[in-house]
Amino acid sequence: MEIDEVRGDFKPEIIPKETQGDIDDYEEALHVLMKFIGSMSSALEQVSGRGANAIVYQAGKRMGHEAGKLMEKTDDIEKALGEMGDILGKEFYFEMWKPSDQEGYTTENNGETSVKLLFMDCVVRQALRRTGLPQKGPLCYLLYGYMVGAVEEVMDIKGKLDIDHFGPNACLKTLTIKWGGK
Amino acid sequence: MVKIKVDEDACVGCGSCVEDCPNDVYELDKEHGKTVVVKEEDCMACLSCHEICPSQALEHNDIHVAKRLYIDRKVNRALNKII
Ligand code: SF4
Ligand code: SF4
Repeated sequence: MEIDEVRGDFKPEIIPKETQGDIDDYEEALHVLMKFIGSMSSALEQVSGRGANAIVYQAGKRMGHEAGKLMEKTDDIEKALGEMGDILGKEFYFEMWKPSDQEGYTTENNGETSVKLLFMDCVVRQALRRTGLPQKGPLCYLLYGYMVGAVEEVMDIKGKLDIDHFGPNACLKTLTIKWGGK
Repeated sequence: MVKIKVDEDACVGCGSCVEDCPNDVYELDKEHGKTVVVKEEDCMACLSCHEICPSQALEHNDIHVAKRLYIDRKVNRALNKII
């Protein structure tokens, strides 16, 4: 098979200026990763049942806490979410959402504050659909964990994220935070 | 703002979109056996209704269209050789 081979010198301590390949190569690599991750997720579910969600949630939460350490601390949920939006970038593009008859984005109930988040672009959703897997499986818990971990870290609170609805083009989640520290 | 169109010739009035929409955007007009849009302003463009509609009668305009790398034919052809 003919390939465009890149020949040159390589020393481990030297970071190459460019890593070769063009954007199409990265797209292919991303698809391979998506398939692998999808298969891993369904295998995990097969072996450990619902426990798979908890494992993946913890993994996401840990990542979220790490990411949260890079963010500015705040007790303003809208500000925290804005910062998280910058970190998650366009691959996990989300916005706060509210039904038309609700005044503001946040609602208060029994000392808890809730806000609905509409995830429009999501790599996890793409990976699941790429592999023909249903949404709301273990992989989705990676993002739940991540959001909760990051919000907990930035706001020093205890949080949880529930999925309200998932669709092929967007998913609605409710982030609930409990004031008064962890 | 999102605009929803229902193709009345295509709609068979099964009511699946009414059942499936989490924000009660549709109602079934029993007399005419068609779905009607009653709360367009609450549509969040999840497109679950598109997925469930058996007759592809729905159209959403002016929405954020999520990335769908996974349907790139060229990439899929290349991938099928590997996995
Ligand atoms: S896109 Fe989602 S929210 Fe909008 S009408 Fe369809 S199911 Fe309802
Ligand atoms: S799901 Fe489609 S066919 Fe069924 S009522 Fe809704 S628009 Fe009509």
